[in-house]
Amino acid sequence: MRLDIENIKKTYGDKIVLDISNMTIKEGKITGITGPNGSGKSTLLNIISYIDDNFSGKVKYNGMDFSKEVAKNITYVFQKPYLLRRSVYDNIVYPLKLRKVDNKSQTKYANDIMKRLEIEDLSNKRGQQLSGGESQKVALARALVFKPKLLLLDEPTSNIDSESVKIMEREIVNFNKETSGTVLIVTHNLEQAQRICDEVISLDSGKVRN
Amino acid sequence: MDYILQGFKEAISLIIRLDPEVFEIVFMSLLVSTSATILASSFLIPIGVYLGIKKFKGKRMVSRIIYTSMSIPTVIVGLVVAIILSRRGPLGYLDLMYTPKAMVIAQTLLLIPLVLGLTYSLAKSRGSNISNVSFTLGGSKFDSVVLIIKELRVDILVNVATAFSRAISEVGAVMIVGGNIKGHTRVITTSISMMNSMGDYPMAIALGIILLIISFFINSFIYSYGQED
Repeated sequence: MRLDIENIKKTYGDKIVLDISNMTIKEGKITGITGPNGSGKSTLLNIISYIDDNFSGKVKYNGMDFSKEVAKNITYVFQKPYLLRRSVYDNIVYPLKLRKVDNKSQTKYANDIMKRLEIEDLSNKRGQQLSGGESQKVALARALVFKPKLLLLDEPTSNIDSESVKIMEREIVNFNKETSGTVLIVTHNLEQAQRICDEVISLDSGKVRN
Repeated sequence: MDYILQGFKEAISLIIRLDPEVFEIVFMSLLVSTSATILASSFLIPIGVYLGIKKFKGKRMVSRIIYTSMSIPTVIVGLVVAIILSRRGPLGYLDLMYTPKAMVIAQTLLLIPLVLGLTYSLAKSRGSNISNVSFTLGGSKFDSVVLIIKELRVDILVNVATAFSRAISEVGAVMIVGGNIKGHTRVITTSISMMNSMGDYPMAIALGIILLIISFFINSFIYSYGQED
């Protein structure tokens, strides 16, 4: 999914937290968003995902305005993901249930993504029993299981062990290669951005840094 | 002091003997309060969750109105329902005054702001994370409301129990619209009030003990459910 951002402005009172006149996120690429704290990175993802719809300007999704149909093809992994009070397996099949995927396919897709992210042994554990790193992997699995066209990631590998970081990065790249899904990843880690991103956009004080 | 001890002895005896009058009153209390709680909860829980997560202009004002109406005096609700259902009132032709149905209506109206306020407050403080998960995984607003109710079920159940406790322990509204008619609209609280003024302490104490036992069982159930979850 290609994103065209036009004259987006987000303010809190008098303070401008995001001010982007023009930005294009290319389809099928992994784009990194970097910048210091408070530079507007998460705000940008909130606006693109329409969690925050209180802004001026426009975001076009493959040339279209945001709609229910567009929303079905976008997903967002938060920095501190909320896992539902149910098993890991049930967390992962939740988006498939929303899309009325049949039970047999749900099991197939969920088992496949759990295997890829090496979390099969967590299948029956409840979301609240997991460590931070495990929660991040489950949240990524839940986002990838329905093969979205746009994957938004807000520091998905912050504060987790290096082995888990490797696994997650590998699966983000695999997702992008196999499905040509667009990935937009907010990261503080410039090395990570260099490792997995095709392009990097830097934000500072809500503006794109040249 | 003797009359108090004697009252307790006779009260225990009434309970052990399964005194028909005592249990008729208890049954009527449970019927009216349970019906009102189910009616208020089934409609107001989804609405409370929806309002809690929905962003709209004037939300602060709506919050104030909801929270203020949570503490509405029971006699005021009783009086309003009585005026509407009395023979000369707009719904007088339904002939509902001094019936259990009128009591259910009064208690439902009493519980509506309470259930709405508690659910609204819960959804407002803890529903946005859950709503965001549903929304970013492709769910509709309806899916979000359903998911929030499922995720916060223990807290919502506590709210429902709080509403039931308010219903079963209130005396003003049911006294006004029910009339405390023996064998027809007499409930625990109106009976205790009447028995006290008549000096019939054993019966009042027996009903008081049963009311406490009911509260104990409801709270124990919720506590156990919360622990299991």
